[in-house]
Amino acid sequence: MTVLVARGICKSFGRRRVLAGLDLEVAAGEMVAVAGENGTGKTTLLRILAGDLRPDAGSVAIRGRPGYCPQTAILDEALTVDQNVRYFQAAYGIGRTGRAEALIEQLGYAGCRDQRAGTLSGGTRQKLSLTLALMHDPPVLLLDEPYQGFDWQTYLAFWEMAGELRDRGTATVVISHLVFEQERFDRICHLRDGRIEQEAISHAPAA
Amino acid sequence: MRQQLDTAIRLSLAGQVRNRFAWILLVAFVPVWYLLIGSMIAHHGIGFSLQATGATLVVDGHNLTLITAGLSSITLITGFVVFAAVRRTRAFDRRLVLAGYRPAALIAAKTGGALVQAVAIGAYATIIMLFFWRPAGVWAVAVTFMLAAATYAALGLLIGVLVRGDLEGFFLIIMVSLLDTFLENPVDNPLANKPILEFFPSYGSTQFAAAGAFHHQVLAGMAAVSLGWTAVFAVLGLIVLRLRMPRPASVTAPAVTGPEEGAASS
Repeated sequence: MTVLVARGICKSFGRRRVLAGLDLEVAAGEMVAVAGENGTGKTTLLRILAGDLRPDAGSVAIRGRPGYCPQTAILDEALTVDQNVRYFQAAYGIGRTGRAEALIEQLGYAGCRDQRAGTLSGGTRQKLSLTLALMHDPPVLLLDEPYQGFDWQTYLAFWEMAGELRDRGTATVVISHLVFEQERFDRICHLRDGRIEQEAISHAPAA
Repeated sequence: MRQQLDTAIRLSLAGQVRNRFAWILLVAFVPVWYLLIGSMIAHHGIGFSLQATGATLVVDGHNLTLITAGLSSITLITGFVVFAAVRRTRAFDRRLVLAGYRPAALIAAKTGGALVQAVAIGAYATIIMLFFWRPAGVWAVAVTFMLAAATYAALGLLIGVLVRGDLEGFFLIIMVSLLDTFLENPVDNPLANKPILEFFPSYGSTQFAAAGAFHHQVLAGMAAVSLGWTAVFAVLGLIVLRLRMPRPASVTAPAVTGPEEGAASS
């Protein structure tokens, strides 16, 4: 079942055309990487998919409320980890924060729950940002280089979690530079000249 | 909506309370400003024109200056606090809206939070002023400070959503506040009683304060003028804030593909 469809996406900034009629479909349980050189429009594409940026033309359809983790951890710096979670609990309209608590444990920063987001390290901020994107069990996940600043242990925990999500049918779109992790994706979309030029199927999907 | 509004009010106030710089300004700047300005101005009588009644009062220049000093300090602080809060949470608010937060709940919480701060800062500045001067119409000074704080809270919001950089915003708030409040005082500005000053944001509140504090007179129309400025700034700021918030897809839209479940489109 297709859970994300983007058709004819165009976006320009001034005279510079970044996306030129891009099409993308993602199925449930599929893990897709969007790769490309700097400035090719990867983050622009993800922001359009998340609804954070309006395309000049084209349409996006997504099943349910996507989980969106932007490139820079966007948090309320003055609030604690738990208060940030509470804000998103209200946003998603979920009764319990059990999933968020499990993610905090899994990503290994339970000791920081009463700490203000502004005082967290870069890696922990990224973990919190990821938790906020995942805590409502979204059918579609949009992640912009989500593991920036992670230590090796957390990096592995992230991929383990991504594997679990895939098994549960979550569709994941990850912006990635793909140096080490190509084999982890079901599909790799290369962005060039505003379109997805090449879709490579990886050899062996791994969790 | 109710849960979102409650959460937004509670957490936005929790975030505001942690603004240490604002606390320092409140605790240190307000009394120091009264002390500094008060010590420079002697107790000489000076003519102050009540435009609403056409009367010219002869008031104590020192005491009048304490009112305008209070106005300048609270307008600066309130404008700064709300501006900083708007800037700090701008990207976070966008993310919340993308996650399903209703913009109306966030906007209502911001408005409510700004009003609470305006009332608290106005009341605090009045209490501190009592250490330097006890006006007969202290209630008028308190109301004035709250009105002026509300106006500059709204201005802080408007500037916060309009300017690109923080520095530009701080500069604008400082310049508008200083010009506005000092020009209303005939001790600082020999042209203070000219009609042109009717078009300044703190005109209504200064007139209201002077009439109440020195003349036991309630100029309700002047309070309305001040509230008018607040309303204009607030409405403009909230409109821009709403327009700049993302409009995420509805989660109840029909499926584009796939036979089983509903999909959202944007």
